[in-house]
Amino acid sequence: MLKKMQDALIAGKKAEVETLVDQALAAGMPAGTILNEGLIPGMERLGVQFKANEVFIPEVLVAARAMNAGLAKLEPHLAKAGIKPRGVVVIGTVKGDLHDIGKNLVAMMLRGNGYKIVDLGVDVAPEKYLEAAKANQASVIALSALLTTTMVQMKTVVEAVEKAGLKVPIVIGGAPVTKDYADQIHASGYAPDAASAVEEIGRLIAA
Amino acid sequence: MTSRELVVASLELRGPGRVPRQLWTLPWAQWTWPRELAGIARRFPDDIVTCPAFLREPLRTSGQEYEPGLFVDEWGCRFENKQRGIIGQVKDPVLRSWAGLDGVRVPRERLSVDTDQVNRFCEAAEAFVLAKTWSHPFELVQFLRGPETLYMDLAERPAGLDRLLEKVHAFYLEEMALWASTDVDALVFADDWGGQGSLLIAPALWRELFKPLYRDYVQLAHRHGKYAFMHSDGHIEAILPDLVEIGLDALNAQLFTMDIEAIGTRFAGRLTFWGEVDRQHLLPYGTPAEVRAAVRTVRRALWRQGGVIAQCEFGIGARPENVAAVFEAWDESTPLRRDIIER
Repeated sequence: MLKKMQDALIAGKKAEVETLVDQALAAGMPAGTILNEGLIPGMERLGVQFKANEVFIPEVLVAARAMNAGLAKLEPHLAKAGIKPRGVVVIGTVKGDLHDIGKNLVAMMLRGNGYKIVDLGVDVAPEKYLEAAKANQASVIALSALLTTTMVQMKTVVEAVEKAGLKVPIVIGGAPVTKDYADQIHASGYAPDAASAVEEIGRLIAA
Repeated sequence: MTSRELVVASLELRGPGRVPRQLWTLPWAQWTWPRELAGIARRFPDDIVTCPAFLREPLRTSGQEYEPGLFVDEWGCRFENKQRGIIGQVKDPVLRSWAGLDGVRVPRERLSVDTDQVNRFCEAAEAFVLAKTWSHPFELVQFLRGPETLYMDLAERPAGLDRLLEKVHAFYLEEMALWASTDVDALVFADDWGGQGSLLIAPALWRELFKPLYRDYVQLAHRHGKYAFMHSDGHIEAILPDLVEIGLDALNAQLFTMDIEAIGTRFAGRLTFWGEVDRQHLLPYGTPAEVRAAVRTVRRALWRQGGVIAQCEFGIGARPENVAAVFEAWDESTPLRRDIIER
């Protein structure tokens, strides 16, 4: 049943994922097992396919929607069982930048991989990241930018977090962003695409 | 050779005396570097110009496209913008439900082109003239539906999507046919198909849904004796063979997101590369020496007694000395001696 759930998830079949989650719960399968052995491995497989150019943005978006539908069924059971997310990621597109599809893809893939997401949206001022990171005890702050002129805001956020003495790693990404730029502004991590962002955040949390 | 002759010679691999050139300028550059931009334009005049639309009826838009605030385009798409000098993002799509499809307003006023004025413009121009078409079916359906919704449509293929594409495509064909009846040299279409490292959608889906549209545009252009020019941002190596196959004449692509040497091996001489030079990293953050080296890479990989137009974009963040270096480097190879090209 879990393999079938993964396949339905990867195919973006929302109703089928919901049905399979319901059936698994009705059969007495623990919510944690459904999440960790059904849904999350499905999203991980999708991430691998995305990095390998076997699936593309449309497939990822419908899979993420199916994942969210499955998660919505599971969440009350996960809470009851005391199962916590892998981490909390505060994410947003930096100040002055309204582009959000890349940021949304990263957020969806992280959510599908068991993280709690605090999505601040677009055009996010540095102090908003700080406030949200403190309020939610963030494990990681994730910054997105599409423009060469707005990516400089990432440096401002890194400096603001450092100045506030907050020990939260910052990962950055977006079209003009490079590993060199991440090193230059002392960001903790860099991801060239959504699937890599999941890996990089996992690495930062484990470090 | 006139500018027009230079461009045609490059398109047809007939060894123009120098590489034809064209500078694209975003309003940001005009506001930020007016003197430097004027200097570059004086030193390196464009060989390609875009004909104004000369519309008899004004487009029904509101707001300013390149200013902060709300801009509503002629299709009713609503763009929110935070930065002066660039276009905004659609946050409130007009076609949230397929029930509204018939209500999508086709901007017929774009067909009110004064073709006599267009022809006078072409006659007076020494440069190669592009039509003011810039048909962009993929982007337009994203603007109408909202990008994420449209991507999910592409995965799920609701009937409305085909109807929407048909509606958009029919209008673009009508508009292109109108321009093809004038004296312009080329019709233009544009869609950003690439991310940083791959196509945004599966190549097979692109071939099924969008390649036929572009084939129609190319065939329409060729039937009327015009060249077909296309622009696409991003990594689009996967569809380059398709663009060659449908007979595209010139492609403006972000060459530096791809393997330029590999592209040269496969496609040089089969398609004219209408720029560009890396505007994400080199033009804003590189040095003139690095820009010159990049131009030499492009020349070595793609020039085959033609097949290149020295285009670059003076866009947001670009340094004027780097933009100038693009054209200086191309002119350093004039006349294009075989030993320089092969160095």
